[in-house]
Amino acid sequence: MRSGSHDFWRGVWATAPLLPGVVAFGLLYGVMARQVGFTPWQAWAMSLIVHAGSAQFAVLGMWGAAGATTIILTTLVINLRHLLMGASVAPHLRDLSPPWKALLALWMSDESYALAIAEYERGRGSHWYFLGANVGIYLAWPAGGLLGATLGTAIPNPGRYGLDLLFPLAFLGLLTAFLTDRISVAVALAGGGLALMGALLLPGKWHVVVAGLLGSALGLLLEEVGKRWKRC
Amino acid sequence: MEALLIFAGMALATFVTRYTMIAVLGRPDPARPFGGDEESGGVQPGLLRRWLRYVPAAVLAALVVPAALAPRGELDLGLPALAVLIGAVVAWRTRNVLWTIAAGMTLFWLFRALGW
Repeated sequence: MRSGSHDFWRGVWATAPLLPGVVAFGLLYGVMARQVGFTPWQAWAMSLIVHAGSAQFAVLGMWGAAGATTIILTTLVINLRHLLMGASVAPHLRDLSPPWKALLALWMSDESYALAIAEYERGRGSHWYFLGANVGIYLAWPAGGLLGATLGTAIPNPGRYGLDLLFPLAFLGLLTAFLTDRISVAVALAGGGLALMGALLLPGKWHVVVAGLLGSALGLLLEEVGKRWKRC
Repeated sequence: MEALLIFAGMALATFVTRYTMIAVLGRPDPARPFGGDEESGGVQPGLLRRWLRYVPAAVLAALVVPAALAPRGELDLGLPALAVLIGAVVAWRTRNVLWTIAAGMTLFWLFRALGW
């Protein structure tokens, strides 16, 4: 039996390669937050309370111009992709109590979801690992925001050091856990291709929702077609 | 103060998107949304379960490709895209996160130093 604390710390450590990217993204958010009139503490509080990077950036873009309802609805829409992530991780969480499920959902970020689901796929996953990954990302994000809001534009552009590459590179490594046969490779290629088209055409994060749904549906379709083919 | 209330509303909206499917599809109830094929002979539960197996591959790829090729919403095939492409090859060969990051970042910094 593996111990909870061991898995927890393994989850925290697994976020390490991603943290420079999360902090750099947080710095950028902090600078932008100041520009729309946030105090550093407000910038920090928003990250701590909301903990949803893409939605926070979108909301900064409409701060002062949009009402509370619009802001909250925008947050909801941008985070719709988490419905898909939650759905796919749900089977692994069936034996947990409702408070545990709620705790894991509360801080589930793109990054910690990817780390946790890949670990489950490799047979080493656990709710403690998931929580550790959540906590690692959760602590780094507001820290970057506070730093960015305090230092202002004195910070260098993270793109210069390639820090924005950590996210796609780490996710590629995690993605390979799911490329187990030809169908799953086709699913990933379709998901990536559709998402690229969607990112150029659709607002917000709709491209992830559309590509996630269509890509996974393609997998099921190919599986069914393959079965019929064999039966003939 | 008003800002804090808006943050709380945003947090609630975020939590709803993250928790809903975990609560609905993570139930251990007798309806067996996941184990259906053998026990109930039902087609629907089996389909749902098999569909969910393909979701991570589709979602992770959907997060990677735009972040690499169109980070600002328009196609950008510069050095970052090349570095991620090399990362993809290394990921494919090693299936390892750290090697993938090391390869992509090394290439990025090397070309940067060479004046790309």
